[in-house]
Amino acid sequence: MQARLDRVMELAARHVARRSSRRSFLGTFAMVLTGVAALPLLPVRRGSVAEAAELPPKADGSAATPSQAKPKIVTDPNSCEYWKYCAIDGFLCSCCGGTSSTCPPGTEPSPITWIGTCQNPADGRDYLVSYNDCCGKTTCGACTCVRNEGEKPMYRMSLNNDVNWCMANDNPNYHCSVSVILGVAEK
Amino acid sequence: MRLARLAVVMAAWTALAAQGAPAKAPPPLAPEHIGVEKLPAKTPHWAYLLDVSWNNYIDERVYVYDGDAGRLLGMMDLGYYGNFAESPDGKTSALAATYWSRGGHGTRTEVVEWYDNQTLKPRGELVLGARRAQVGAITPFNLAYSADGRFLYSTNLTPATSVSVIDVARNAAVSEIDTDGCVQAIPSAVHRFTAICENGRLLTVTVDDSGHEAQRSVSDAFFDVDKDPVFVQSVPTPEGVDFVSFLGDVHGVDLTDNQVRFAPVWSLVSAKERGHWRPGGQQLLAYNAPLQRLYVLMHRGGPGSHKEAASEVWVFDAKAHKRLARWTVPTAEHGGGVAVLATRDDKPLLYVATDKSALLVLDAQSGRVLHTEEKLGQSLWYMQNP
Repeated sequence: MQARLDRVMELAARHVARRSSRRSFLGTFAMVLTGVAALPLLPVRRGSVAEAAELPPKADGSAATPSQAKPKIVTDPNSCEYWKYCAIDGFLCSCCGGTSSTCPPGTEPSPITWIGTCQNPADGRDYLVSYNDCCGKTTCGACTCVRNEGEKPMYRMSLNNDVNWCMANDNPNYHCSVSVILGVAEK
Repeated sequence: MRLARLAVVMAAWTALAAQGAPAKAPPPLAPEHIGVEKLPAKTPHWAYLLDVSWNNYIDERVYVYDGDAGRLLGMMDLGYYGNFAESPDGKTSALAATYWSRGGHGTRTEVVEWYDNQTLKPRGELVLGARRAQVGAITPFNLAYSADGRFLYSTNLTPATSVSVIDVARNAAVSEIDTDGCVQAIPSAVHRFTAICENGRLLTVTVDDSGHEAQRSVSDAFFDVDKDPVFVQSVPTPEGVDFVSFLGDVHGVDLTDNQVRFAPVWSLVSAKERGHWRPGGQQLLAYNAPLQRLYVLMHRGGPGSHKEAASEVWVFDAKAHKRLARWTVPTAEHGGGVAVLATRDDKPLLYVATDKSALLVLDAQSGRVLHTEEKLGQSLWYMQNP
């Protein structure tokens, strides 16, 4: 567990260093650490049980296994079903002039974020994903996407996607949301 | 050119005359005079409908709606990430929001505007600090009057959390009280507010006559955020509030004393339904005190579906903890339910707003749909009683 936490903290610190101004560093670091503290409790393995239950049964009536009926992998980052968006709530920046991990021109990324854990169906790994908002213009209005895997009410702020994460920006006007891979959520 | 035009007019006149004039023409319509409607007398069946204008968030608004007449009566501007509270005497609405000098950019102003509820015009304002909480889950507890109307509690989030206490008569923020990471300000008599904390406890702060903190206390934990968190969208009851958890447990909270008390937990769902039928949406709970009814937006879904729109409204006897009815939301026609509100009287209406921004007005005792607005605004996520 300690090794895992160390790894996560290293990833988080690197992410903060890459993304944040000095002014916002402390606030960001505090938020990421809050998320890290909650990690053992995140739904880091959601897929197999739920998916197996929804698969059609075999001819003898027994449950199918996931390997028998592979779900279609969505690779389009403009689709709400794209794997990185498992805990997003807002407009997809990839539909607004950005990409799944970059903001549209003329906007500013939020230095503070909420965190999700999403499984990449292509490699079966769980990834820590930081959901930064892009800020400074009114709502984009394209590709609304609301998914809430592991999302918690706002008293657990670091796992909440309802508060305005542009709140600490010079211009806190919310435009759209990106999903930035922080690293593999090691078990 | 002029002759040609005259010829056209003459031809038209001749054609009209050929059709034959009616024997007796009706009297001409009287000239009209532009005016401004005055709001009729408010009834308990009115509601304030908050439209967050999801696709253009800087243009939120609050509609005033008469559920009996099925009629929009007027509107108030709300700005960005706004919150709404009506004063206990009903004369004023406080609307707190963000504005920029150039639409979505320029100089930022956080402000609470005081609207006159008879004219629906702002009659004053108080500029707030840039810390005002911008929160998507709209509840009565992001901005709330004290029971006597003396203070207005405005929540802050930076993401450090605090509550600004506004002395309404002085039109001044008189203090800012640190809530130690806990969120919301649920008011209770006479000058107290309660915030909900990550560790499952409630923080209650008593405010003195000058608007400053006099005392604080922390309750026992009443839920486990990791196992089954409660929605922050609790609903006011005569004793305090009812919280509902993601899996459908009801946690009644009594705020009538300095000491917070918790009622025995009861469930909205049977053992068989648990985990399959869940509460969800935006404003997912409504309560009517005279009939002791709790109304809950419910859907079929699994973990992570807590914001899913409802396919049914479940009706409970809130004292006997018994389900009385399941009413189907016409989802195919109007979308799923995202907000629900019961009026306060003993012959209540139930307002249901959908994710297609339709508004259904039901008889809250029978479930009969009395009136339907196919589309009112853009995104009705919160409603409040006068």
